[in-house]
Amino acid sequence: MNWTAAIPEIFLALSGLAILMLGVFVRREPTFLCSMLAVGALLLTAVLVLGGSDGAAYGGQFVVDPFSSFVKLLVLAAAALALVLSLDYNRREGLARLEYPVLMLFATLGMLVMASASNLMTLYLGLELQSLAIYVLAAFARDTLRSSEAGLKYFVLGALASGLLLYGISLVYGFTGGVGFAGMAQALADPVHASPGLIAGIVFIVAGLAFKISAVPFHMWTPDVYEGAPSPVTAFLATAPKVAAMALLLRVMVTPFGHLLGSWQLLIELVSIASMVLGALAAIGQTNIKRLMAYSSIGHMGYALIGLACGTPEGIRGVLVYLVIYVFMNAGTFACIIAMRRRGLAVEKIADLGGLGRSDPGLALAMAVFMFSMAGIPPMSGFFGKLYVFLPAVQSGLWTLAVIGVLTSVVGAYYYLRVVKVMYFDPGVEELDAPPASLSVLATGTALFTTLFFVFPGPFIGAAQAAARVLFG
Amino acid sequence: MIYAVAVFAPLFGSLVAGLSGRLIGDRAAQAVTILCMILAAICGSTAFVQLVFQGGSPGTVALGTWLDVGQFQAPWALRYDTLSAVMVAMVTFVATLIHIYSVGYMGHEKNPVSRFFSYLSLFTFAMLMLVTADNLLQLFFGWEGVGLASYLLIGYWFDKPSACAAAIKAFVVNRIGDLFFAVGIALVFFLFGSIEFSAIFAAIGQHQNAIYHVLGADFRAYEVIGVLLFLGAMGKSAQLGLHVWLPDAMEGPTPVSALIHAATMVTAGVFLMARMSPLLDYAPGALAFITVIGGSTALFAATIGCAQNDIKRVIAYSTCSQLGYMFVAAGVGAYQVSIFHLITHAFFKALLFLGAGSVIHAMSDEQDMRRMGGIWRKIPATYALMWVGSLALAGIFPFAGYFSKDAILEAAYASGSAVGLYGWVCGMLAAFLTAFYSWRLLIMTFHGAPRADHHVMEHVHESPPVMILPLVVLAIGALVAGFALKGLFIGPDWAAFWAGSIANAPDNHVLAAMEELPVWVGFAPLVVGLAGIGTAYLFYMVDPEIPVRLAARFGGVYRLLLNKWYFDEFYDWLIVRPYFALARLLWQVGDATLIDGMPNGAAALAADGSRRIVKLQTGSIAVYAFSMLIGLVVLVSVFLLFR
Amino acid sequence: MAVGLGHYLTVGAILLVMGIFGIFLNRKNVIVILMSIELILLAVNLNFVAFSAALGDLVGQVFAMFVLTVAAAEAAIGLAIVVIYFRNRGSIEVEDVTLMKG
Repeated sequence: MNWTAAIPEIFLALSGLAILMLGVFVRREPTFLCSMLAVGALLLTAVLVLGGSDGAAYGGQFVVDPFSSFVKLLVLAAAALALVLSLDYNRREGLARLEYPVLMLFATLGMLVMASASNLMTLYLGLELQSLAIYVLAAFARDTLRSSEAGLKYFVLGALASGLLLYGISLVYGFTGGVGFAGMAQALADPVHASPGLIAGIVFIVAGLAFKISAVPFHMWTPDVYEGAPSPVTAFLATAPKVAAMALLLRVMVTPFGHLLGSWQLLIELVSIASMVLGALAAIGQTNIKRLMAYSSIGHMGYALIGLACGTPEGIRGVLVYLVIYVFMNAGTFACIIAMRRRGLAVEKIADLGGLGRSDPGLALAMAVFMFSMAGIPPMSGFFGKLYVFLPAVQSGLWTLAVIGVLTSVVGAYYYLRVVKVMYFDPGVEELDAPPASLSVLATGTALFTTLFFVFPGPFIGAAQAAARVLFG
Repeated sequence: MIYAVAVFAPLFGSLVAGLSGRLIGDRAAQAVTILCMILAAICGSTAFVQLVFQGGSPGTVALGTWLDVGQFQAPWALRYDTLSAVMVAMVTFVATLIHIYSVGYMGHEKNPVSRFFSYLSLFTFAMLMLVTADNLLQLFFGWEGVGLASYLLIGYWFDKPSACAAAIKAFVVNRIGDLFFAVGIALVFFLFGSIEFSAIFAAIGQHQNAIYHVLGADFRAYEVIGVLLFLGAMGKSAQLGLHVWLPDAMEGPTPVSALIHAATMVTAGVFLMARMSPLLDYAPGALAFITVIGGSTALFAATIGCAQNDIKRVIAYSTCSQLGYMFVAAGVGAYQVSIFHLITHAFFKALLFLGAGSVIHAMSDEQDMRRMGGIWRKIPATYALMWVGSLALAGIFPFAGYFSKDAILEAAYASGSAVGLYGWVCGMLAAFLTAFYSWRLLIMTFHGAPRADHHVMEHVHESPPVMILPLVVLAIGALVAGFALKGLFIGPDWAAFWAGSIANAPDNHVLAAMEELPVWVGFAPLVVGLAGIGTAYLFYMVDPEIPVRLAARFGGVYRLLLNKWYFDEFYDWLIVRPYFALARLLWQVGDATLIDGMPNGAAALAADGSRRIVKLQTGSIAVYAFSMLIGLVVLVSVFLLFR
Repeated sequence: MAVGLGHYLTVGAILLVMGIFGIFLNRKNVIVILMSIELILLAVNLNFVAFSAALGDLVGQVFAMFVLTVAAAEAAIGLAIVVIYFRNRGSIEVEDVTLMKG
């Protein structure tokens, strides 16, 4: 049995266990040490991913290819960013417990497995490992009602979603006679075999994965959980799992179900349009910035799905580029949100940002950069993300999607720019506290990435291109 | 490698000073930017020397891909050939001196000046990107970059309304030129299928007969592209018609005037002509157009320069005029000569501007020459340096301007065409006027009875060494650059020197023809220049009543010149007022009623939709699960129905 | 009457629908929701085993084993979350879980 392809995952699992043990035996204040070790473990895993060679393991249930490596690196980066975001926040909120980094590591491990899944069983196990860890993280502030309610809601709906996913898997298994992606692709090479049972199965699988990327109509949990969960968890929730689940959706739709493109294309188009429209409209009236980010992420997933709807290598490349840009600008935005404290207490109303342009110009500038980027205003990276999914859509003749995408971007620009307006033109109530160094550094770094992406998009696009090509064989 | 360092060191300095200027303080910000500039200057000069004297091979320094969308590819790459290397060496060298000078000049500022140094370095970086670009898009990036930096620098004193207005004016006028430039780039892409210089120049022969069919008439593609590119250059290089922003740009701090509006940015247009020389040489119509505009600008700006009273404005119009000379040279096909004048001009014009800055500094920020005079004994060093600059500008042997201006006029005469002759006549007249206004400036500023009040006069002082030293270096340049570089740039071995970075068509023999001119053509500019100096001496030193009587006698002409040929008023009447009227009409009728109606309606619709959608979000798990179920059912039915 | 694959699938489908309805028709108690989730997983397992037998392929049964394992972990975590929710709210009525909305 060839297990060397899974070395990064094995290493991450072992270091998660080791950190847990270490945390139990170190007497005093183990959390900071464990968090740092966890960041180190994530970085080392990234190195292992970079150094690994392509191949399959465990009888073809687990593959390593440019696509999985691309997704893994992005997930690891997102997880490391989220972990750094949590350091100061958790200490102040009394959440600095050693389980936090360990749970993050296991959730990340689940995502890595998802990225490499080439079999419905691996897919399910990775997804569940990720979900179970995140249910706990969402309820991590166990003494506050809002966090425990967020955890409860996410758990119930998540369990329902994975139930649906599983039911879909069982149907697909029954009607294709296997759970390996390659075998399924072979069995479905002739679209005539697409029986109603199989089709129902595919829709159930799409529903299960759409829940994870919070696409409409499986998005309802998103605003509540984003609002209730501790902010660093929200930051994590908004980045890494989205990448992993989207990657899984890409692989499942393109590899085993690729021959049915003509059938599921409309499905993805509908979900994409609904997500873009709802994301743009529902965010307008929000006053809580974390809720705003929830609707924003719903909209962003709608944009990314445009690329999938194309079903072409260029479209998939666009989705991957979009995810890279999305992760960094989202992590940066959450760095700014987590930095919002007044007299030591976390605040999260948009109005609390009033006067930030004068009281903390650096933070306000970073936030403005992210908002402009989210709105898709050039030369910020967000514009290029949209460009790289809209262009393939137009090339594939999906004009409707591109047009609706542009229209909803305009609506979206309204509420993003409103945040900028509040920061620079509204009178401040009272100054916010100065942000800790870790957040400033992170916000600056991601803001630089977001502003300067247009200078050097080459490596990202090249890597995404290579990754997308793999899916098409 | 060192070439890339020369380009990116200023960017690094700019970022450090701009982002952490408040943190590390003014002194440190200045030190960082200046050190970066010195590094850049060393690297830039080394790269130049390696290429030209040590047999380095030209090439490109690839930095990465920028855009790769379908057929359209634009890499980041630095072009390393003689033309670029010369420009890099000059830009880094002059910019370094100006950075150093600024330490003294901005010494009296109350606010932190790290922002100023950050902008200066940013400007330098953009200019270097412009001259090292390997494709037209990257060139355009640098082109817009210097535009942005010049906007920021002109408007540096943002609490001064006139500075803000001047910044906006410069920006808008430049946009007009940029529009044509952008269209030109697009046409190049459609014609050649690429915007990389190597690909364009390699395919020059293939598209010679390409034709655009517009409005029932046929135009050769090369002519159209050439004219469009030149229109872009006209904006940046302040040529007749689009020159109006340059004098106003003197609202910025004086080092800015020196760096941007004399030595580097305004010469970008000339550089563009030289860079695109392989294409332009096949566009004789466009070249004739360039010559006419250049010659007219040279003369026209010189006439205005004679009647201005603001010391910086005189020099600004002189810049305008000298740029006209360079375009005359480019227009007759002698691109090498235009670059030669560009380099020498950078030295003596930066010297003049910085010298003027030193005078203004000494006179407690007075810029009007009518309130100066009688100060040459108090600031002898500045006085001497201004003499050197003026001698070079007027083209007196052996100063730098003599060689380059002489070469331009010879080239214009040698071209033998009618437009060439027009350029030559304009140039000769302008040469006389140049010498005249230069000495008018010198005499009014330094000689005669003091016309400033005694508070100012008591306060007149020589500038600190940090300001004088860069001037001395520039003065040496203005003295020796002419005969040092003439042999290289336009000497017998020019073909080996330029190594193909400036290309002449096979039938372009201007440089050879220059060798065979009658002797008097070579001496004429010098004679005319001396005559100009003599006239100025007579008018302002011997009998100061003459200009007053002349102004009274020919009041119309005087007012025409004083008011800059009424160009601003003309544009105001032709464009600004009708535009305002139209805008007001569109605003009141079109916008307020029609167009606002639609978005307002759409916005109301969106807000309404938002309220409805949010109402669904009840917070109840049951509703959420139910919506998932509904979604599932809808999707399954859609899939089953439309598969 | 021979009991064939169709019958098993029908039972599975009925169990699934009961599970889903249990989640959103139930207004009383969060524990009932946990039971409904178990019902859905039961439907899935039934499907897997039935397909496995019909296809003569063991993968379905292996999958069912994994589902059982994961379901156990899921139930544990679910109960833990319900417990901390009860501590904060003092009730596990489904209708009370509506603090955040909009």
